[in-house]
Amino acid sequence: MVMNKMTKVFDCIIIGSGVVGSSIAYHLSERKKYEILLIDKSYPLSGTSGSTQAWVWVHSKTPNWYGELSMYSAELYAYLEKKIGDFEYKRTGGIAPFYNEGDRDKALKLAEEQGKVGIKIDVLTRDEVLEKEPAVSPKIAGATFSKWDGNLNPFRLVELYIRAAKKNGVQCSFYNRVTSIKKVRGIFHVETEQGVFQGNNVILAGGPWSKELGKMLGVYIPVRQVRGQILITEPLKPFLKYTIGGVRQTDNGEVLIGYSKEEVGYDRRTTLDVMQQTARMAIDLVPALAKANIVRAFSGIRVIPEDGLPIFGEIPGIKGAYIAVMHSGITLSAIVGTLMTELLIDGETSLDISRYSLKRFSNLPNRKI
Amino acid sequence: MEKSTIVCRCEEINIEEIELAIKNGARTFDDIKRLTRCGMGPCQAKICMNPVREIIATYTNTPLEDIPPPRLRMPAIPVRLGALANGVEDFKESSIASVFGESVEDGDEQNDESV
Amino acid sequence: MEADVLIVGAGPAGISAALTAEKFGAKVILIDESFSPGGQLRQQTQYFSNLPTGYAPDIGLKVIETLIKHLYASSVQVYTNHTMIGAYKNGMIGVTDGNKTFPILARANILAPGAQEEAKIFPGWTLPGVMTAGAAQILINRESVLPGKRAVMIGTNNFAFTVAKQLHDCGVTIEAFIEEKSQITCSDGILRDELKHVPVWTESTVQIAQGTGQVERVSVHTPEGRKEIDVDLICISNGFTPILEPFVIMDCELTYKKHLGGWVPLYNEKLQTTNPSCFIAGNAAGITDLGPILLTGEIAAISALEEIGILNSEEAEIERRKRWLELEKLENTAVCQARKNLIASSRSRQSPLTKSK
Ligand SMILES: Cc1cc2nc3c(=O)[nH]c(=O)nc-3n(C[C@H](O)[C@H](O)[C@H](O)COP(=O)(O)OP(=O)(O)OC[C@H]3O[C@@H](n4cnc5c(N)ncnc54)[C@H](O)[C@@H]3O)c2cc1C
Ligand SMILES: Cc1cc2nc3c(=O)[nH]c(=O)nc-3n(C[C@H](O)[C@H](O)[C@H](O)COP(=O)(O)OP(=O)(O)OC[C@H]3O[C@@H](n4cnc5c(N)ncnc54)[C@H](O)[C@@H]3O)c2cc1C
Repeated sequence: MVMNKMTKVFDCIIIGSGVVGSSIAYHLSERKKYEILLIDKSYPLSGTSGSTQAWVWVHSKTPNWYGELSMYSAELYAYLEKKIGDFEYKRTGGIAPFYNEGDRDKALKLAEEQGKVGIKIDVLTRDEVLEKEPAVSPKIAGATFSKWDGNLNPFRLVELYIRAAKKNGVQCSFYNRVTSIKKVRGIFHVETEQGVFQGNNVILAGGPWSKELGKMLGVYIPVRQVRGQILITEPLKPFLKYTIGGVRQTDNGEVLIGYSKEEVGYDRRTTLDVMQQTARMAIDLVPALAKANIVRAFSGIRVIPEDGLPIFGEIPGIKGAYIAVMHSGITLSAIVGTLMTELLIDGETSLDISRYSLKRFSNLPNRKI
Repeated sequence: MEKSTIVCRCEEINIEEIELAIKNGARTFDDIKRLTRCGMGPCQAKICMNPVREIIATYTNTPLEDIPPPRLRMPAIPVRLGALANGVEDFKESSIASVFGESVEDGDEQNDESV
Repeated sequence: MEADVLIVGAGPAGISAALTAEKFGAKVILIDESFSPGGQLRQQTQYFSNLPTGYAPDIGLKVIETLIKHLYASSVQVYTNHTMIGAYKNGMIGVTDGNKTFPILARANILAPGAQEEAKIFPGWTLPGVMTAGAAQILINRESVLPGKRAVMIGTNNFAFTVAKQLHDCGVTIEAFIEEKSQITCSDGILRDELKHVPVWTESTVQIAQGTGQVERVSVHTPEGRKEIDVDLICISNGFTPILEPFVIMDCELTYKKHLGGWVPLYNEKLQTTNPSCFIAGNAAGITDLGPILLTGEIAAISALEEIGILNSEEAEIERRKRWLELEKLENTAVCQARKNLIASSRSRQSPLTKSK
């Protein structure tokens, strides 16, 4: 239970306890300066962070300054694990295959661009790929490869963020939906199912529900909801060393397969149509998977900003209100948590984050809220 | 009952682990599943669904009927990936994207803007 | 593949539905994941007399044999080793035969996947030699394998007594029934009488099952103190719960009804679920006795044919009413009451039931 909810003013109220909100809560709490409240309408991991592939994927993120941000996050994860505990982060190296020899030029161009910011990419021939990862189909023409890519266990990551945040004094209020937000004399009044909480700052980290949260502040958040469906195999003997575009093997031995995109709103059903297409994609890529049993399919709702790039920082025009919403929250949570903490507590960030501001959408034709 | 009693035999999760998750605020089968892997094994909660619901009910003093079943998903039984891939007439539209394809596509557009 | 009606599950409910739909002129496909039709009736050696008109009283095995004979003599297309694993975006059911996965296009579906047995958790329940009563029944009646020599049965419901009797007849010594409640719950006087030599420990719970690699001993907490016996088989009869996956896959709403086995799909008196193209029959609907199970198959078939226009509403209503009346005569009162409550509450929540195309 959260104490004194009527009179107390928190330094910061974070709405949404997915990987993004809980990372911000943890990183802020590390400074021991703020009294923080983390609210979620259900339980952490019930949103997109609990239904994800969870690659920490760097090398093909373009433009290259976005790749660079992803690379810093990968860098931070290695240290983060020492602080909050083991979330199975493995920098396996990532393989993004292409099937047409004609794509090689594009691959070389990608390597050149990313190389400018320090992301080293090798453009591999078929044989080089097969030597690295013998399970990959000889049907591919080649692949881009980088040591920066990897994956982690999202369940452990979010659990450990929250555990560490609580230890640092963060208060949590789960199963408590935020219904409205008002700003009264400089203080945010966050109305929830369990009463009103007050905060000097408020951070929207609602993932696929960001639009709704934005509305509460009268702000249009330009994001789309895109469903992704994933297949999971029974645990298999370790046979995939790398994170491959579309397929990865967990520490448990299960293989997670899938890279689908459908715009169907907040509908988390799976469909056989996409499951069968996904199965084909998987066998084309890793033929040995044909024999594996699929025990489950799941789906999650990606939230994709209209230009594909992350949105985080202060909301223009509303002092003290912040937002953090992005497509690749698993990849980016470490760096976003770090930068948001610098922004709130130090007032400046070690990296220029103006590119990620919501401001960049302000010249979009007027949107209905 | 002894806290070390196994509840989910696929993933070998015991009562103590489930109670710990509930103590940390988990209220549904799916909350517990994500924290402990209970119900994530080959049987996909077919066996432990109700025993776990009973533990939640007792621990949180909630009527059993207020505790929903876990989210049941396809496939209804395990199926070989090969059998899943086989037998589809070609789908008119595919929703499968490619990581490489996307980087190139976005890259081309974005690079024009960023120079 | 195409049909007027697709039926999932070829137990007594599904077969009864298939034969009824065929009789009224529908093109029917019946699938079952097992290698043969018959469902859970294939291992039942007990005698059933409480059957609908047209059925001769007989043991379960024989009742199903006759039904299967009719089935193969009919125009129903039967596909064994075919499992419903999912659904397509357009609502078609997807089926696999282990080699390929494909849609079956039907205008209405009847889902009759049956029920599964409830587990019971106690220290040692995962040891070999601990099994559900149904598993023991399959071993003796279908596989001709003796699961053990000295057994205890956890639970005292009708099924516990049925299986205990069958085990006893095969030469297994039943050492005791273990019941948490203060009384035996079996309502069948004859069965109880036949097993009256077996002690029943009421208000008792299993403390632990032990053994190396296999059950050897069970300790039971009873009002008279702790009792320990050597056994090599522990059977659990903790009730049945409807198989829900096919319904959830088809977007049918669920509801909680303790007397019908816990979570059950919501349905109305047409045995129509909240997905108007999906009907329900048998154990999956929380119906437990064979006579009523067969009737629910018939009712679901009639309603499905009404939905797709093969029967008109008046015809359908007459045929349905006839069977409901018979069903109420045959059915166990507690189940009947629970079902009535379910129908009453689903009727009031019935708005999702719009007529389909
Ligand atoms: C199939 C799939 C594969 C993916 N693969 C990857 C990958 O490999 N790598 C990668 O980096 N990313 C991947 N992603 C994306 C990544 O999972 C998401 O970017 C990330 O999980 C988003 O985290 P979040 O915290 O923003 O959102 P969420 O985890 O959805 O958290 C938002 C939280 O806000 C809460 N909330 C919303 N509204 C309210 C309210 N009114 N009141 C209170 N609480 C509220 C919700 O309950 C929820 O818990 C994938 C996504 C999908 C669907
Ligand atoms: C192990 C066991 C033992 C039982 N013993 C007794 C007993 O001794 N006495 C008694 O009165 N009752 C017993 N019952 C209850 C018994 O189930 C019913 O009396 C009766 O058989 C139920 O008929 P049904 O048609 O509803 O379901 P079932 O007979 O269970 O038939 C359902 C059929 O659906 C099939 N199926 C399920 N899912 C799928 C799918 N996704 N795709 C394709 N096919 C599918 C199954 O293979 C099965 O053949 C037992 C039940 C079980 C589970």
